[in-house]
Amino acid sequence: MEDIKMEDTAQLTEKEQKRVLSRLLSYTKPHKKELIVAFSLLVLTTLGELASPILVKIFIDDYLAPGNLVFKPLVILGASYLGIQFVKSFLLFFQLVKFQEIALKIIQQLRIDIFSKVQSLGLKYFDQTPAGSIVSRVTNDTEAIKDMFVTVLSTFIQSGFLLIGIFITMFILDVKLALFCLIFIPLILLVMSLYRKFSSRFYLEMRERLSQLNAKLSESLQGMSIIQVFRQEKRLRKEFEVINDKHYDAGMKNIKIDGLLLRPAVDLIFILGLIIVLNYFGLTSLDSPVEIGVLYAFVNYLERFFEPVNNMMMRLSLYQQAIVAGARVFRILDKQELAPGQNDESKLSIEKGRIEFKNLTFSYDGKRDVLKNISFTANPGETVALVGHTGSGKSSIINLLMRFYEFEKGDILIDGQSIRHFSKDELREKMGLVLQDSFLFYGTVRDNITLHNHHLTDEQVEEAAQFVQAHTFIEKLEDSYHHKVVERGSTLSSGQRQLIAFARTIAANPKILVLDEATANIDTETEEAIQTALSKMRKGRTTIAIAHRLSTIQDANLILVLHQGEIVERGTHQELLALGGLYHKMFLLQNGALERLEDVMH
Amino acid sequence: MKVFLDLGWFFKQEKKAYIFGTVILLFVALLQLVPPKVIGVIADHINNGTMTKGLLLEWMTVLVGAGLGMYILRYFWRIMIFGSAVKLSKQLRNGLYQHFTNMSPSFYQKRRIGDLMAHATNDLQAIQQTAGLGVLTLVDSLSTGGFVILAMAFTISWKLTLICLIPMPFMAILTSWFGTMLHRTFHKAQEAFSDLNDKTQESISGIKVIKTFGQEKEDIEDFRKKSQDVVEKNIVVAKIDSLYDPTISIIVGISFFLAITFGSKFVLAGELTIGELIAFTTYLGLLIWPMLAFGWLFNIVERGRASYDRVAALLREKSDITDRSDALEIIPSGDIHYDIEKFTFPGENKPMLKNINFTLNRGETLGIVGKTGAGKTTLLKLLIREFEDYEGGINFGSHTLQEYKLEKLREVIGYVPQDHFLFSASVADNIAFTNPNAPKEDIFGAAKLASIHDDILQFTEGYQTVVGERGVSLSGGQKQRISIARALLMNPEVLLLDDSLSAVDAKTEEAILSSLRKNREGKTTIITSHRLSAIQHANLILVLDNGEVIERGTHEELMAAPGWYKEMYLRQQLEELVEHGGH
Repeated sequence: MEDIKMEDTAQLTEKEQKRVLSRLLSYTKPHKKELIVAFSLLVLTTLGELASPILVKIFIDDYLAPGNLVFKPLVILGASYLGIQFVKSFLLFFQLVKFQEIALKIIQQLRIDIFSKVQSLGLKYFDQTPAGSIVSRVTNDTEAIKDMFVTVLSTFIQSGFLLIGIFITMFILDVKLALFCLIFIPLILLVMSLYRKFSSRFYLEMRERLSQLNAKLSESLQGMSIIQVFRQEKRLRKEFEVINDKHYDAGMKNIKIDGLLLRPAVDLIFILGLIIVLNYFGLTSLDSPVEIGVLYAFVNYLERFFEPVNNMMMRLSLYQQAIVAGARVFRILDKQELAPGQNDESKLSIEKGRIEFKNLTFSYDGKRDVLKNISFTANPGETVALVGHTGSGKSSIINLLMRFYEFEKGDILIDGQSIRHFSKDELREKMGLVLQDSFLFYGTVRDNITLHNHHLTDEQVEEAAQFVQAHTFIEKLEDSYHHKVVERGSTLSSGQRQLIAFARTIAANPKILVLDEATANIDTETEEAIQTALSKMRKGRTTIAIAHRLSTIQDANLILVLHQGEIVERGTHQELLALGGLYHKMFLLQNGALERLEDVMH
Repeated sequence: MKVFLDLGWFFKQEKKAYIFGTVILLFVALLQLVPPKVIGVIADHINNGTMTKGLLLEWMTVLVGAGLGMYILRYFWRIMIFGSAVKLSKQLRNGLYQHFTNMSPSFYQKRRIGDLMAHATNDLQAIQQTAGLGVLTLVDSLSTGGFVILAMAFTISWKLTLICLIPMPFMAILTSWFGTMLHRTFHKAQEAFSDLNDKTQESISGIKVIKTFGQEKEDIEDFRKKSQDVVEKNIVVAKIDSLYDPTISIIVGISFFLAITFGSKFVLAGELTIGELIAFTTYLGLLIWPMLAFGWLFNIVERGRASYDRVAALLREKSDITDRSDALEIIPSGDIHYDIEKFTFPGENKPMLKNINFTLNRGETLGIVGKTGAGKTTLLKLLIREFEDYEGGINFGSHTLQEYKLEKLREVIGYVPQDHFLFSASVADNIAFTNPNAPKEDIFGAAKLASIHDDILQFTEGYQTVVGERGVSLSGGQKQRISIARALLMNPEVLLLDDSLSAVDAKTEEAILSSLRKNREGKTTIITSHRLSAIQHANLILVLDNGEVIERGTHEELMAAPGWYKEMYLRQQLEELVEHGGH
């Protein structure tokens, strides 16, 4: 999980924070109707909240103090007091649920927005950003924003409403005293802003320390065998203790600041309020009679006044966090590194599957060219193999052909048309890519073959699996095609995973096949199945293949040998061997004992 | 409440803080009684017309004193009680970490890292809550609640107190009940959230596949469904959460109603003054919090106990690999001799290794080949004592492995595991893992031996580039070579390469192997590999199948007789030869 960096908040000016807030609040727009309902409920419950002290005041001043107890009005008074309590509580429940519901829906929308945005970004973005941090944006940051929406929408608005209501009622009861009470406002605002200033800093620091702590722990657990075998337990324990101590210090700072400025401080202001009210009544009573019920009502309102203030204060750090999280989420939403554009209106279709690279030069970072002036043609149904050292540019060619990255210089033509002119759907439908690491999703084997193409029938799925030699082993799995794939398919061998990925591609029946051959650890039996499957798949399809084992591409129509982004040799397998160049050397190196064996055989 | 007993050792350790904290809490509870009393007194004076400036000043001074006193005392109990709780979680966290570093792989085999993390985060959080908020709510609800009730009963009216208290226990019962329900539904909501998290993680890791198959829209739809599930589960939580306020409001409302109704009766009967009635209702307001807290207390304590039990069980667990009391302090050296009849992984039935018998002379190289799952890695793990429960023995020099101190044994072994794990630190720190103070030249030297030096120089920040989970992503081959360099920096007596060259290309493999041959003259090396080229120069090659040695010898010897090795070797050769036109 990615940390909340302290710099992030430091970078946000007041103005930016406001912008983030207003943008977040703009998400409420589609929920206008529901908000109106929620606000109406809020008005009613607030009125209910304000009504009861008034009723008691009327009771004390008009009936109790004069000792004038008339049965009927008192019953009405008592009944309305209880009635208001019940109705208010009943409405309060719906009001609270409603606000949370709206907040949850807003967050869902925000999540879908950012997830869709992430999906639309080009692979360049994914190269530069660790997966964990993207996930963090989509889920954890939006969760932080959710907390704010729930609290802003309910606590803040509700508290604000109540506060205003209390003041209005106070003014109705006694203008002069209410004016005196206005003194709290700057006081509370001062405490709030002080608290916000310090606590946001300390709170973020603690979060940061906690996430460091968790990162350290999680990493240590993952690498525990390494730590133990290299005898570094003591050193890492010390390192952990240091981080733990810092976390403790940050925690203590939080407790101190909470103790100084949170509830104790608000309670102190309450006492101040009490002093003002009591003094006012006490001094007034020296000259003129005072309605004791008003005193009661004021004291009661004072009590009610400070609960929402406490609530708001406690939620301030959530607010701060949400703004930071919001800023990060919007940063992604505003990203311009979109996936390369396609002409989606285009009706062009890929008929033959002829691929031509024309003088293509490409760079990921705009500085270093990873492909230099690449030109070659793959005729319909032919196989072009790319070989070369790691980093020679093989994968970049495939990345460009798959439109994962945008190129500037040169062009890629399909059936004589620039690849840019085809619609995205057409490209995805006609071009199939098999990746080096066969990525399997959570779900069943069948799900992994069909992906989201639900129209595929069981027969079609089986047919595809049979075609790529995967049927045999899938049938042997528990529940065969409905076998659960867990943890990226870790229960399957890498060869089996690859066969499933093949079936996935064949089920989509592409015209053009792009292969990034897997290198690592495939057992011999599966290896044979893979080779057979590969040659079957290639039949009738234009194929661009990256080969790590040169043995797999001996029958390619054209082999391109890449070195540092350039095609240094080209030809068929035999031609290249005869050339005695880089290809020949690579070929010998793939089996160091070759010469000796040859000697033996000669 | 048993958890408070379980935590007794900690309360004892921090007894000063807890005793002072509790005493302060009691004082605060007493001081809290002052303001309502003052309100009542003033109200009565006003009502009776007996108010004077002096009286007013007197009572205001009392209020100011009580207010300031409470402010200061409240600050201090927080530091003492909450501070101790934070200390507890720190202490437990250190303890857990230390414990984790002592546990052997069989411990980690049984558990998932996610669960261990949960113990160290959620469980510690719950325990911290118990030691902080739990103690606070216990002391505070008892003291504040007690004092307020006493004050109401003795200074105002015990009859009225009894009447008004009737609805209050319901509040404690209901809040406790809501708490349990809330916890359960919240758990479900968390699960839905974690599903969403997994879904996102998966989509991002598989973004290439999604883009390749043009499945963005469908994937977003899937995401929408999952996020809808999160919304629904959270609404259930919201509904329970929203029960609190209305419930409190009704119960408090009833209580107030009773106070006013019966209170006025007493006022008219002359048993009570109006001021006292007002003071009484203010006291009643003070009771809300202790009642609520009492309800919470049960939830906090319940959760704390479950968490504490889990953490304690974890800490009780003993490592199955420990030093003997008479373990030798000497560094092992000499020939390595395996004589293992049978080894079975803990908790499994099928033996992983059977009848493994060989001697590897000091300074020689052993190659181990065979299919995936044949037992190659297990063979190495026994040498570094990750597992022990086998029949037979392994000798290193003149002693068995168990006779050495674990630390001494591991001091001479450089291990490069199959899953090349790097820490989130700079490349230099990763290579210098065994010796953080290693001079630059040594680090460079190890990197050069592992053929990774030039790659590292290409990185944006060279040796200072941060790698690992939270750093730049490296290719599998680069990670493998850095792990090799990490082991080579120790210049170990015994080097174990566990299929550590699988992700590097043939040219690099050849370069690394030949530099190792030169550099490790006279030192023992064990290599497991799928590629036969990596072990071809070994002094002894073992072919494993199903945990047994099916063939052994040098490359030449193995090639001289028919068998798996020869077949495998020729199979690779044959294809090449045919390609060469069959010459």
